[in-house]
Amino acid sequence: MLRKLQRKTLIPAQIAGYALTLLVGVAIVLLAVQVYCDLKPLLDSKTDVFSAHTVTVSKNVTVFKTANKEGLYFSEKELKRLKEQEFVKEVAQFNSATFNTSAAISFDGQRMSTDLFFESVPDSYLDIESDEWQWDSTSDFLPIIIPEDYLNLYNFGFAESQSLPVVSPALLSQVTFSIFVEGNGKSKVYNSRIVGLTGKINSILVPEDFLRWANSEFGSAEEKGSSRLLVEFSDASDERIPQYFEANGLNINKSELETSKMAFFFKLAMLFVTVIAIIIIVLSVAFIIMSMNLIVQRNREMFVNLHNIGYSVRDISRFYKVVVSVITVVDLLLAVLLVLWVRGMYIDRMSALFQTGGGFMPMLAGTAVLMALLLVVCNLFTGRVIKNITNRQ
Amino acid sequence: MRIELHNLKPKYMSESEVAGSDIYLQPSVVFEQGRSYLVRARSGHGKTSLLNFIYGISGQYDGEVVLTESGKRKAESGERRTENATHPALTGTPLREGMANARTENELRTSVLSFMFQDLGLFPQLTATENVQLKNRLTGFKSDAEIEAMLDVLLPEGKKHQPVATLSLGQRQRVAAVRALCQPFKFILMDEPFSHIDSENARCVADMVMGEVGRQGAGLIVTALDAIDYFHFDVTYNL
Repeated sequence: MLRKLQRKTLIPAQIAGYALTLLVGVAIVLLAVQVYCDLKPLLDSKTDVFSAHTVTVSKNVTVFKTANKEGLYFSEKELKRLKEQEFVKEVAQFNSATFNTSAAISFDGQRMSTDLFFESVPDSYLDIESDEWQWDSTSDFLPIIIPEDYLNLYNFGFAESQSLPVVSPALLSQVTFSIFVEGNGKSKVYNSRIVGLTGKINSILVPEDFLRWANSEFGSAEEKGSSRLLVEFSDASDERIPQYFEANGLNINKSELETSKMAFFFKLAMLFVTVIAIIIIVLSVAFIIMSMNLIVQRNREMFVNLHNIGYSVRDISRFYKVVVSVITVVDLLLAVLLVLWVRGMYIDRMSALFQTGGGFMPMLAGTAVLMALLLVVCNLFTGRVIKNITNRQ
Repeated sequence: MRIELHNLKPKYMSESEVAGSDIYLQPSVVFEQGRSYLVRARSGHGKTSLLNFIYGISGQYDGEVVLTESGKRKAESGERRTENATHPALTGTPLREGMANARTENELRTSVLSFMFQDLGLFPQLTATENVQLKNRLTGFKSDAEIEAMLDVLLPEGKKHQPVATLSLGQRQRVAAVRALCQPFKFILMDEPFSHIDSENARCVADMVMGEVGRQGAGLIVTALDAIDYFHFDVTYNL
């Protein structure tokens, strides 16, 4: 009876308006959360052994410097100046080997061998399991890190043209080979394995401890300066960075900065979209509260009558609370389905290109939080609007 | 149970307007359960206001309205709440004492006081039967058959299933009377109940009300412009 009376007071267009705007707002928020979770591994660049804020810097090779190599090295003064820049957090130098090395691998009965060069950077810049990246003078195992490009060069160039099998990073790390080190009339053979790949440094890296020891053991005494630096920025998207390097004739791996910049803009865009969506949600809630107000004002007499014959505010508001709650819950569940559907469309294509990650937990947790919040707010205000009108004059 | 009024006066009426009243500004007026009262006055003299004060719909008065179970006043009662209740006499808060089984206003309105409003307070889109059932659902006091029987006595054939909006004012008044009887009460308040009813129907309504009042051992307070001879009144007040 009460429901029959109250059902007619609802304004369908306004209920539908609330349902639609809430659905749009919630779906956008949840989708933003889901996309962010899916792209997080890409943004964090966890596949590389270097952090996103680190780049290598070298001087431009010019005609004049070809003859005089000294011009390629960084002087103490230049180093100091670079360190003083606001956007630079830390600067580290590369150490190069001053001895001869070569690597050999036995493959299919054939023995292949190649000359190599080694460099090292401070271990703290490398994001790698420390027990893999260790060397001591008693051990004859030497871990190395090679540029990603080497593997790509082999897989997409060499292997393709020579009909050789392609190698995955995981498989590559299983392969062991020998490294010969010689100089100062001494020589030594090490077992070696590739423990990591990097897209940032075009060099073959060995632990710094080893390089220091080997330079003194096998190397020539002459001390060379560094031709390359590792620079860590506090914020890689700082616009002064490209300006500074341009002005000082320094070469920087720009794509790295671009990625970092893109990640920054992506996060900013996500934040922006989320904020807009939250505003939509807030407006939809304000809308339904205003709609409730209108219903109550339109049917003031009915509400007062009900209260006068003994119906409590709770009895009177129950119907409206149930309607709003049911719409809200259904809306949120619809939004979750919508997000899963949209994700289904992009996730296949994405995971073919790069590693996607993140489950549904953050999105579902977000749904639960939103639902609880919306239910509390809507029910509270609905009750209040009706209580106000039934108060004693 | 009894209802006590002490120095009662609507805030919106001046002292000269209520001068000569048997109720307003009297130090003590008592309505006893089991007795019937007629409150008589010309229009605009605060009949509806008086019933609204007792029923708790309006708080616009000076003085005290005390609902008490025993007749003995207890020190303080917080039954009716107002934010800055310093003294009930100042805030116009009716005291509801000893109403242990009527803790909230809604319980009071469904088990202690029944009110047949002057403007009836019916829902025009519901049928006569539905209007009565809407109240009875709260109290569960009458069976559906009893409600049908009561309406059959008072309404012409076929009217009880028509929306109230299509009924005449007199017919609506009778529906409101039936609705007021669908609850347990210790007092029933009727605000000009026969203003649009012919004498034959009025007698029917009066008999039905008196029957219910007698069964429940309740008190009756009726307001009217003039004397009403359908009821036997123990006391008549001129407002």
